[in-house]
Amino acid sequence: MELPRGPCLLAFCASQPRLEEAFRAELRGLGAPLLALWPSGGILLGADDEPIQVPPQPELWRLHGAGSAALTAVLLDDRHRVRLRREAPEAEATLLAAVREAGRAVRSAPRGVGRRELLVNSLAVALGIAVLQACASSRPRLATGVASAGPGVIDVNLIVNGEKRTLSVEPRVVLLDALRENLGLTGAKKGCDMGQCGACTVLVEGQRVNSCLKLVAQLEGASVTTIEGLARGAELHPMQQAFLDEDALQCGYCTPGQILSAVALLQEGKPADDDEIRERMSGNLCRCGAYPNILAAIKSVAGMGH
Amino acid sequence: MRLFTFQRAAEVSEAIAAAPGAAFLAGGTNLVDLMKIEVLNPERVLDISRLQLREIAVRDGGLQIGALASNTAVAEHEEVRRRAPALSEALLSGASPQLRNSATVGGNLMQRTRCAYYRDLATRCNKRQPGTGCDAIGGWTRMHAILGTSESCIAAHPSDMCVALYALDAAVRVRGPSGERELPVSDLHLLPGDHPEMEFALGPSDLIVSVRVPLNDLAARSRYVKVRDRQSYAFALASCAAAVQAPGGVVRLARFALGGVGTKPWRVPQAESWMQGRPASRETFTRAAEMALQGARPQRDNAFKVELAKRTAVRALMLSAGAQA
Repeated sequence: MELPRGPCLLAFCASQPRLEEAFRAELRGLGAPLLALWPSGGILLGADDEPIQVPPQPELWRLHGAGSAALTAVLLDDRHRVRLRREAPEAEATLLAAVREAGRAVRSAPRGVGRRELLVNSLAVALGIAVLQACASSRPRLATGVASAGPGVIDVNLIVNGEKRTLSVEPRVVLLDALRENLGLTGAKKGCDMGQCGACTVLVEGQRVNSCLKLVAQLEGASVTTIEGLARGAELHPMQQAFLDEDALQCGYCTPGQILSAVALLQEGKPADDDEIRERMSGNLCRCGAYPNILAAIKSVAGMGH
Repeated sequence: MRLFTFQRAAEVSEAIAAAPGAAFLAGGTNLVDLMKIEVLNPERVLDISRLQLREIAVRDGGLQIGALASNTAVAEHEEVRRRAPALSEALLSGASPQLRNSATVGGNLMQRTRCAYYRDLATRCNKRQPGTGCDAIGGWTRMHAILGTSESCIAAHPSDMCVALYALDAAVRVRGPSGERELPVSDLHLLPGDHPEMEFALGPSDLIVSVRVPLNDLAARSRYVKVRDRQSYAFALASCAAAVQAPGGVVRLARFALGGVGTKPWRVPQAESWMQGRPASRETFTRAAEMALQGARPQRDNAFKVELAKRTAVRALMLSAGAQA
């Protein structure tokens, strides 16, 4: 079949998509046609015309390498060059989001910009984002009902100090042990191993937590910051530097936890006085009793003087 | 920790369907701790931490708190601090910032006792292993309960938050296979009696989804006072959440609940109603506190708790009433 002139969106769908009136309204607002194809047929939704049923297009499927994905979307530009090709785990909502966002961008663009180029670029960006979102939201919904894993080794993806890491651990493994034993990040210390001393404190999604009480299995996709991730190259984090400057340690075993807890404390809000710092640091014990200097280090970073 | 199968629920209905035989896992601060020392040994752990139950909102004259709201989120919520201060104060008096970031309201309602014998597999404990006996009775009992105890169990209830929720007349919303129901928070926790292993008025598939705190003038006056062996980061020896309305120095309405002394948070409605119409004074509050402590049965090491709890209650009542201490 002959494709419509100008920019065009091809949607190869694993099954016939339900493209409701809301979708067609968005398409009219955008001003680009959509050719939606499924194995047994297809439909051409023009910007202005009534929908046209089309016969199956096996040559187009082959040409664009469309297969078993719920959606393979191909964006063709003015001269029918492929601008973007993406696969997504869901068709209708992905297409609707792409067309809606692209339409919004086109409508709010200043005059004088090349309209067809703008249309293609807007669609490319919107489609890319819609596919990413479709992939992200589909991941936790494994099959129907609850997702099960273990008791043997399972894979868990974490972002540790900005780096994507995949951990292979039993579901009973806690974050502290995984950091130390699997990743070799021995900065987080095992003190009491029962959530009472704070030596294992790390940041999960920016919040300080006791890593000895967090199952890794629960943390799929989470970002974790340990003491190893605080410095920028050779430059220490201001809190690390302050602990050195104020001699805020003796044996040093509780120090990584103290520093991460102190970093989080200042992110949570500036303390009013010494007592507030002491109270808010109460989850980190120091058996050497370096508390006065720990307090001084935190005050210096907080700009509270001595 | 023993081996277990890990499951994750994306919807509340899924969690309830998969619940029988599994342990719900939210923040993990209590469950993971108890699994590590093999006091709790579930074969399946059902992660509910991704359910959409985190919302904290004011609705229909009440504070509605999702079961997965963290202790930190609740304690620092502006409406909680302003309109139910005892709840915020109780949460901030408990645990550490790290633990409060992970711990959830639902988990706090289900928090297990800190009785040293419950946590020690080398000793006998009727709560951990029904029918084996109680080594706490006659043992080291400084931290144990003096109210609501039985011949089978003297374990104290550990939660600060629950004490505030009792005084604030909170209700717990529970969803199970046959739908949702609401129960007063004071009905959630069971007295030990002959079956200390039965701790909650919940079925095997029941999931706490939210807590509702009525907001009124009384709640806005509520305060929490906690006494412990250290100034910070310790469980209560005695605590009290109190709310007193006393226009013109005369008690119109008063409520208080005690923590650290009961096998569950302790509230005595007769002591509260007795205060009505009496002067908001130290004498009135002292008498009410004495009434609340009636029937206290101290163990070897905790007779001090009787007097300590009274004084803690008087202090909280005075604070709430705005009376001179």
